Amino acid sequence: MDRYIIRKDDLNRWVEALARTQEVIAPTRVEKEIFFAPVQTGIDLNLLSGTAVLPYLPAKDLVLPHSENLFKFTKKGGDYEITVPEDKKTTVVLGIRSCDTSGIFWLDKFYQENFSDCYYWQRRNNLTLVTMACNQPAKNCFCVCCEGGPFLDSEQGEFDIQLVDLPDSYLVECKSSKGKALIEANSKLFAKADPSAVKTREVLEDKSRKSFPPDPTSYMSAAIRRITSNAVTPETWTELGEKCFDCGGCAFVCPCCSCFGVGYLNEGEQGCHYRFWDSCDYSGFTREVSGHNPRGEKGERFKRRFFHKLSYQYLKRDGRIGCVGCGRCITACPGEVGMPSVVERLRK
Amino acid sequence: MSNIYLPNLARIVKTQNETYDTRTFEFELVDPKAKKEFKFKPGQFLEISALGVGEAPFGLASNPNRPETFQVTIRAVGAVTRALHAKKPGDLVGIRGPFGNGFPFDEYKGKNIIFVGGGIGLCPLRSLIEPMLDARSAFKDFLILYGARTPADQVYPGRLKEWEKMPEIRFGMTVDVGNADWKGNVGVVTTLFPKLIQTADNTVVFVCGPPIMIRFAIIELSKLGFKPENIVSTLERYMKCGVGKCGHCAIGHKYVCVDGPVFTYKEIGKLPEKS
Ligand SMILES: Cc1cc2nc3c(=O)[nH]c(=O)nc-3n(C[C@H](O)[C@H](O)[C@H](O)COP(=O)(O)OP(=O)(O)OC[C@H]3O[C@@H](n4cnc5c(N)ncnc54)[C@H](O)[C@@H]3O)c2cc1C
Ligand code: SF4
Ligand code: FES
Repeated sequence: MDRYIIRKDDLNRWVEALARTQEVIAPTRVEKEIFFAPVQTGIDLNLLSGTAVLPYLPAKDLVLPHSENLFKFTKKGGDYEITVPEDKKTTVVLGIRSCDTSGIFWLDKFYQENFSDCYYWQRRNNLTLVTMACNQPAKNCFCVCCEGGPFLDSEQGEFDIQLVDLPDSYLVECKSSKGKALIEANSKLFAKADPSAVKTREVLEDKSRKSFPPDPTSYMSAAIRRITSNAVTPETWTELGEKCFDCGGCAFVCPCCSCFGVGYLNEGEQGCHYRFWDSCDYSGFTREVSGHNPRGEKGERFKRRFFHKLSYQYLKRDGRIGCVGCGRCITACPGEVGMPSVVERLRK
Repeated sequence: MSNIYLPNLARIVKTQNETYDTRTFEFELVDPKAKKEFKFKPGQFLEISALGVGEAPFGLASNPNRPETFQVTIRAVGAVTRALHAKKPGDLVGIRGPFGNGFPFDEYKGKNIIFVGGGIGLCPLRSLIEPMLDARSAFKDFLILYGARTPADQVYPGRLKEWEKMPEIRFGMTVDVGNADWKGNVGVVTTLFPKLIQTADNTVVFVCGPPIMIRFAIIELSKLGFKPENIVSTLERYMKCGVGKCGHCAIGHKYVCVDGPVFTYKEIGKLPEKS
């Protein structure tokens, strides 16, 4: 791993240089909300500071778009011509937070195992993540309970580049060849970091870890054990399920949720098969043609969502729980059954 | 990188009506290389699409030892299955797969074999019965029990008659409701158990059929001393991708499309949700 320093007013110069040859995505204010959006210049440094500000949606749509064509077909006499869309664009995400970066690395594993998903990987292989460590977590953050942040470990963490907001510059930690390429192409903007910068980084991380609420909403282990051993009663799931509006919002804002549906279009002699975000909250997710539905009850669907996120069975398979502690489902859920309140109910 | 969502085109070679709503299709892959490389294991399934209408999973129903052409038996119940039924020999469909774990054929060698099929549930079992008959001497006693609602609901009637006559297998057939021409057994398939099942020792039993039949079959088999690890079935779940990605078919941490569809009752019993 290499460490550099970049001056704050040079960050924009870096963005301008990068944007000449690839797409650069950064948190951008759109009226009252913040979204990841393409930038060329004039990035909002307030959104790239040590203070956590999370875009409303994670950056997962860069690897798993809300909807995408799997293939198109054209009928030619009795035959079909099938074409597959290609996306060769290279993209840099600047200012993605630790939790969202962890989410993408979690998806990587899932999209690699069993059968590798070429639509995911053609985007992912062309994506470089410049992640921003959080010196000061936001109100709903609990990444510290899920190993999603607030900093990514310099040695063991997964990222291309990690920026740390020092008082008058950014520390730049670079650990992948993709990250290195972005720095080397603009080497004039970067200076080698001296040991005092590394020392400051350690102090900031320590302070950040201690600045989560004294009673962080999620002490996960009891919930994990109880879900794993099927010790949560059906009544508790029903009680929680009753608060769920089946809106699917939690799944759509979650960096770790990746279930999709497949749709089919036919217009005259041509058409396509496409996939789109789906959610296990929906009753139609498992309904079969006979009308039989193995998860017809809300409580059963609720159990499914949290079994996938928190059970040891999945933890063992995927190497981490299916939550990175971003807190988005707290904001999105109209029924107040985001991750922390569910964990709190389950560990009782 | 190969594209797991891209179908191969296959041509319908021939079709055979089984019942009023169920038809067997024989396919052959169009691309000569794909055709040559196509192999499958008993119990695996295909994702078959009527392009632009939809795609659905179907169990392979023919003998894996003869994969040049392959068969599935499809019941017309909804949009995709009706669109497939509308196709004629010579027409093209999309095929992905084979997917799923399949039956571990070699593990059953040296054992007594029992098949319990109900209605269309016989179809996926057929992809195991046929190769077992090809290697008949590798297995001990061989019993096939088949139940259908009425004589008109029986699939593969021609093949059933052949099995009935084969000296190397024992065969029992029944219908829930008979008709004037029916001379055979009447009653649910479990009524054949006391007459024909000889022992649970060193025996593996394959059960496939409607959920209600499976439930009663398991109860009766347990009474006869069958252990859950020796009762094997295939699970069905709403599926979209067939490759462990879309999440639709998950039961607990198992994905029916990748970890199944073949499970023993011991495995099914460990799942944190009802199957
Ligand atoms: C492993 C497996 C093997 C199967 N083998 C056979 C077989 O050999 N013969 C046979 O006739 N049927 C089989 N089925 C059931 C068959 O897949 C459904 O009957 C079929 O999906 C219904 O689709 P439809 O479009 O006609 O109905 P619609 O109600 O119009 O369904 C629309 C969509 O729903 C999905 N869907 C609905 N019900 C099911 C279901 N039970 N399972 C999976 N997806 C569903 C499909 O993706 C389909 O595209 C199998 C199912 C599974 C999971
Ligand atoms: S479950 Fe909620 S808090 Fe956890 S990663 Fe998903 S949206 Fe964020
Ligand atoms: S069918 Fe998509 S995960 Fe099994």
